Amino acid sequence: MKALLERAVELMRQAGASYGDIRIREDRKEHISVQNGRPEHIAVDRSAGFGVRVIVDGAWGFFGTHRLEESALEPAVRQAAAIARASARLAGEPVVLARVEPATGFYETPHEVNPFEVPLEEKLAFLEAATKAMRGPNLKLAQAFASSYLAHQHFASTEGARLEQRILQCGGGIAATAIAGGDMQVRSYPNSFRGNFATGGWEYVRAMRLVEEAQRVAEEAEALLAAPPCPQGRRTIVLDGGQLALQVHESCGHPIELDRVLGMELSYAGDSFLTTDKLGTFQYGSPHVNIVADATVRGGLGTFGWDDEGVPAQRTPIVEAGRFVGYLSSRETAPAVGRTSSGAMRASGWHRIPLIRMTNVNLMPGSAGRLEDLIAATDDGLFLATNKSWSIDNKRLNFQFGTEMAREIKGGKLGAIYKNATYTGITPEFWASCDAVCGSDAWQLWGTPNCGKGEPSQTARVGHGVAPARFRNVQVGVRT
Amino acid sequence: MNPAEREAKLLEVGGDLVRSSTADETEIVISEGTDLLTRFSRNQIHQNVGTEEVWAAVRVVTGKRIGVATASSLRPEALRGALDEAVAIAKARGPTDDWPGLPPPRPVQKIAAYDAATAEASADARADLAGEIIAAARAKKAEAAGAVEIEESTLAVVSSAGVAAAHSQTRAQAHTVVTCEDGSGYAEGLSTRMEDVAGRAIGRRAAAKAAASRRPRALSPGRYDVILEPPAVGEWLEYLSYIGFSGKNFEEGRSPLSGKLGQRITGPDVTIWDNALSPRTIPQALDYEGMPKERLTFIACGVAKAVGTSYYRARRLKKRRSSGSALPASVSYECLPLHLFLKGGTSSTERLLKDTKRGLLVTRFHYTNILDPLKTILTGMTRDGTFLVENGEVVGPVRNLRYTENVLEALGRIDGLSRRLALVRGPMVVPTVRIRDVQFTGTTEF
Repeated sequence: MKALLERAVELMRQAGASYGDIRIREDRKEHISVQNGRPEHIAVDRSAGFGVRVIVDGAWGFFGTHRLEESALEPAVRQAAAIARASARLAGEPVVLARVEPATGFYETPHEVNPFEVPLEEKLAFLEAATKAMRGPNLKLAQAFASSYLAHQHFASTEGARLEQRILQCGGGIAATAIAGGDMQVRSYPNSFRGNFATGGWEYVRAMRLVEEAQRVAEEAEALLAAPPCPQGRRTIVLDGGQLALQVHESCGHPIELDRVLGMELSYAGDSFLTTDKLGTFQYGSPHVNIVADATVRGGLGTFGWDDEGVPAQRTPIVEAGRFVGYLSSRETAPAVGRTSSGAMRASGWHRIPLIRMTNVNLMPGSAGRLEDLIAATDDGLFLATNKSWSIDNKRLNFQFGTEMAREIKGGKLGAIYKNATYTGITPEFWASCDAVCGSDAWQLWGTPNCGKGEPSQTARVGHGVAPARFRNVQVGVRT
Repeated sequence: MNPAEREAKLLEVGGDLVRSSTADETEIVISEGTDLLTRFSRNQIHQNVGTEEVWAAVRVVTGKRIGVATASSLRPEALRGALDEAVAIAKARGPTDDWPGLPPPRPVQKIAAYDAATAEASADARADLAGEIIAAARAKKAEAAGAVEIEESTLAVVSSAGVAAAHSQTRAQAHTVVTCEDGSGYAEGLSTRMEDVAGRAIGRRAAAKAAASRRPRALSPGRYDVILEPPAVGEWLEYLSYIGFSGKNFEEGRSPLSGKLGQRITGPDVTIWDNALSPRTIPQALDYEGMPKERLTFIACGVAKAVGTSYYRARRLKKRRSSGSALPASVSYECLPLHLFLKGGTSSTERLLKDTKRGLLVTRFHYTNILDPLKTILTGMTRDGTFLVENGEVVGPVRNLRYTENVLEALGRIDGLSRRLALVRGPMVVPTVRIRDVQFTGTTEF
């Protein structure tokens, strides 16, 4: 491997690259779905190859190939250099990279049990038991999921960086789908869309108590079928961790990506309302809102040793007491705001370039105690639990989320169940309405394994630490 | 390597693996190709990438126990590794009692979908096309962002049931968002041939929209008649297909068509079908089980007719054969049509505008998502050119709006469709449509 890396660096220099890097990466993924007590889908994916990224004539070129052999290096570098020269014909100012000390080293995700070494029979038995524990007269689908990911990467740059990382991630969950009378209601645990995810080993999934939670999840799906639709109006809402994690993801995580801010994603996912003139001055939210991007937190789905430009993992303040103070950035974009890279460049595989991606964008704990304390301190409102749908405009201002379940809060107590709850708002107005965030006892990491960005498209696995929080005067339901 | 040679090579590689397998049944799906993409922003190329990729999915069945594993190489040890891994999965799990076997072979039609000139297009050619779009934006003192993408690939399927089929295709596409002060406009082009993708025309269309959408005014949410241009229509159709036209969703009761075949589910002007063989789309001869693609109508004059199936799902639904809608066995979604058409009408975009007393002209939607799949309730934003129409004229741009709408009900209120159909990304072939009283539930600040 070392010989391949060194040869690639030599070839990139010979091709006239003022900067170049190579990532040799092998990915292994396992997805297991169990439905109604039976295996529904099991697949193992392996992918291996390398990608070279060069700056030639001041512009970028990249070429990736599955041919993981020395004879493929020279044509790949030649292709990348030719692509860079074509870029240079229509490029602007030559690319300048923020300085970073070339690093060497090895990083591996802390874990106890490698999920790929757990017998498939054991995983299936665990998931089958969870689905068999979900029962109900209208329960059509009782599902359990588990996924495991291993990315093993070697990185070398013409600046001298030499890095090796093994990132291990896994997760899982359960879902109960009740269908009757033309209505369908889904209840999930610990999160929707296949569960919760983290960096770590199979011990993370084992600790989820899927079997123990299964019957409650099924009963709530049945209850939702019989429940009335959530009434619309301006309400106080309390968001649970899973929903709040996605709220952070969509309305904070994406708009702080500096490539979006600079227009580099404009034609696909859009740009951002958090323009560079707002840095350091814009009131993003209330004083209760403190957000960091932290690639160092143990267990976060966006935790690593170095990003895919060789920048060390770091913790970057994003929002301090409601004030917007930082971006997720890269070596190319950081100079636009006079800073160094925040270490957020991540590629979904050997065949894609790194883009600015979320690491773990975390809402820091407040002082409102546990969720029970926050509910008890709320006289009139709605408790909204578990994401069901999401949508946000291309500057990340107008959003609308749906949740699996709503509960009335009256006099500090949870009451009636409602279905089909949605809420909508404008990002800074919404975060300005945050008047309480639960404390560190209620703070939990959530993994979002399906974050899409870029062309060709890439899916990133990112994290969000949050504690439940309360928001005032929010539009619930749609005005018709 | 020309596509015929590559098809032969992949069929041979696949055949070797299938013959070497000791499983009761073995199938391999192999895709090999290149994807080259040039992105630009602020009138400059800022990302420019190329990849050559192989993807192979091996499905084995032993005693009705199914295992699937993939590899990213044609090297024998990589494919053998995937085969061994699939066998190990099959051994570890219980049987699928109603497994009907892998599908027996059926004749696959050869269709022209590969353009050698497109496959060989250089990075400079992509830069030239991007440059045409950028030049058109500059002429309007505007800035273009977008992408030019060239793909060429071969798909081959070989199985122990006797399937040995392959298909090669090219795809060229360009799209742009042009911004002009606070206005933005969108246009796209898509074809199997790069020479059909006209950069200057794409750039001009988007630039004209961008210039026209400057200084938008706020409009209150509410119900408006809408004229949806093809990219907007395509987005609704794509989501409708995702939630509605999969045989798996249908059987599980999760599709709005579940239990409703033969019943009217939307208006009489709505006819939707899949036809991967049409030269009007990006043609594809076979699905991921090597079954021939064929025309399949999902909704005819508002009546639910059929759903797309793999062979397994077809047999469960008492059909003799699949509809040619199988996805790779490594994908849990199982089956989905990928080449949709919406039947056009007799009007034109200009006539639809002229006949509108008050409404909105929508270029496209952004970040659509599903609120209620059974009721087909979607939400999303308008983007890159939303205009108020009064008395048959576009009177000015408006700020983007959020819709929250039952799409099958909305399609039931279509009162005009263009005769001309456009190929939009998906790929889908759709007209411009006018719909009465679409529900907009929010607005944004731009």
